[in-house]
Amino acid sequence: MLEHYLTAFSTIFLPQNLLALCLGGLWGLMAGALPGISTSMGVVLLTPFTYSMSPLTAFTILVSAYCGGITGGSITSILFGIPGEPSSVPTVIEGHSLAKQGRAAYALWVFLLCSIGGGLFSVFVMMAATPLIANFALQFGPPEYFGLTMLGLSVVSGLSGGSVLKGLISCLFGIFLATIGTDGITGVERFTFGTTILLGGISFITAMVGLLAVSEILIEAEEPFQQYKGSVDYKGMRGEMPRVSEFKRHWLILTKSPIIGTVIGALPGAGATIAAFLAYGEAARSSKNPEKFGHGAVDGLMAAECANNASTGGSMTILLSLGIPGSNTTAMLIAAFMIHGLQPGPLLLGQRPDIVYGIFVAMLMANLFLLGLTIIGIRLFLQLNRLPYSVFSVAIMILCVVGAFGLSNNMDDIYLMFLFGLIGYYMRKYSFPIAPAVLGLVLGNLAELSLRRTLLLSLGDPLILISRPISAILLAASIFSILYPLFKRPKALKSV
Amino acid sequence: MKKNEIVPTLIIIAFFGLMLIHAMGLRFVKRFGEMGSGFWPILILAAAFLLSILLLISHLIKFQRERKQAPEERSTSSEEGIDLKNRRKRLALSVVCLLGYILLMPWIGFVLSTLLYVFAFILALGERRRLILAISPFLVTGLTVIVFAKLILMPLPRGVDIFAAFSRLIY
Repeated sequence: MLEHYLTAFSTIFLPQNLLALCLGGLWGLMAGALPGISTSMGVVLLTPFTYSMSPLTAFTILVSAYCGGITGGSITSILFGIPGEPSSVPTVIEGHSLAKQGRAAYALWVFLLCSIGGGLFSVFVMMAATPLIANFALQFGPPEYFGLTMLGLSVVSGLSGGSVLKGLISCLFGIFLATIGTDGITGVERFTFGTTILLGGISFITAMVGLLAVSEILIEAEEPFQQYKGSVDYKGMRGEMPRVSEFKRHWLILTKSPIIGTVIGALPGAGATIAAFLAYGEAARSSKNPEKFGHGAVDGLMAAECANNASTGGSMTILLSLGIPGSNTTAMLIAAFMIHGLQPGPLLLGQRPDIVYGIFVAMLMANLFLLGLTIIGIRLFLQLNRLPYSVFSVAIMILCVVGAFGLSNNMDDIYLMFLFGLIGYYMRKYSFPIAPAVLGLVLGNLAELSLRRTLLLSLGDPLILISRPISAILLAASIFSILYPLFKRPKALKSV
Repeated sequence: MKKNEIVPTLIIIAFFGLMLIHAMGLRFVKRFGEMGSGFWPILILAAAFLLSILLLISHLIKFQRERKQAPEERSTSSEEGIDLKNRRKRLALSVVCLLGYILLMPWIGFVLSTLLYVFAFILALGERRRLILAISPFLVTGLTVIVFAKLILMPLPRGVDIFAAFSRLIY
């Protein structure tokens, strides 16, 4: 094994591979940061350019873009409040709140260090425990997935801010939005009202950009011009680095979140979004100051960033060991393997150890390179922040419009984004938390499909959910997660 | 809790109620063990409907309690009224600009609609510096077209007829 690692390290330091690491990382950062270009789309756009490359150089640039994409989604989230990726929503909530309080550089440092830390942790886990995690993930059937989504949804009480009731209504609204469109099992149209615009359902990015970014610009537009605070206060990253003692204080979150991220990343179809929300919700549940969540909670930002980057190693683990994609992006990577005449799965490690160990080392190096590359990326995006307030806000709005359009090159997504912008505006005005709605939208579809598949499997017997140990544990944990904050919340927050 | 939270809650109840009635029309059970397309939406909407009613009740109770405690507090000063009016005006202008932008875009193309939108929106926000008003529409539109249409090759809307011909000159 050691000789494979030595060979992989000596290969990765070849000039072409180092260049691939840099270019892939920068491309991924840009793709992740711009709404409308997802990490998976960034990897897809890059794949054709890898035809003529050697397989290891090709995978070096692709995995670097993958890691960069997951990291990049948080740059625009913190600076401008626009989630580049669905997994960046908790970062928008906490990171952008910190930025608006004049602590943008601090939030960027926390994001950067936690992202890289989470990413490196998952790479080491990938190297050490690939077969172990893969076998665990294989035990997950529809009942376990239902338990997992319920656990994901149960963090709603932690995301609700002042009113759990409003948080629950917001979450149910999100789950309802996820049911719109053609039913994946029966093909029946639901809540489309005869229009084609809703046939394909509501895309996460459209809804999120509308609910989070457009609504915020509308809220800011109400303010008198002199008081307008569209951009964030940023003086420089020097001197703003968090102290070691702060990380020490949050050691438990910094330990739990990468583990959650890696394990969730290793579950087929789960990916960075569920990982980020679960870790964020867990941080909210166990926090000593749950009232800070939604208003710039550093522990929430740490949890989400550690988990979403840690999911990359988990996803790659089951891709390499079983050939199963853990996320959209790793599904795209299967195509890249095929292009180079390789089949990811149990045989790959024996047949082409140079590729597998090369990918391990490439991911390790990509995470280290991202430390520097992200600072370059932040500087590039900060140029937008220097614009006058009015131009800045219009630039962000156009970025939202183009991002929504870019999803399927269709005007319908822009109209939906506008509608969600208005809905988000009124939700903010009447203190309905937005994060639970996004959570419901993201997890609603998976929850419904896994429940229906479970009941098909058991011929309609719901007891299957508690007769299988993993799903029973997950469901019990989700009930505990919903009820615990209700009893733990300070009296002042129990008002509604 | 304010009186003005009661009306939105009633709207939310009506929305979930209407959707629930619509969901009842979806096929419920298809074959043994299958929940059908309607089961999950009915479950979700019924829960949302009930929770919204609970929210309304809690609002009404708090409204009554607050009215008993401070009956004279609700008169608003004329300054607050003017501020509210101005806020609503700025919001309405921003929404109209955005709506006009997205409705015009398929007809006159991305470039022209963005030029108009940038100018109108920053004017609506209160920007009065002539240099910014003159330069920013071209700067923002130009950069967007270079990044998205030229580099990423995103097929941004070109418009129809003469506008499509104009857009093709650029991207």
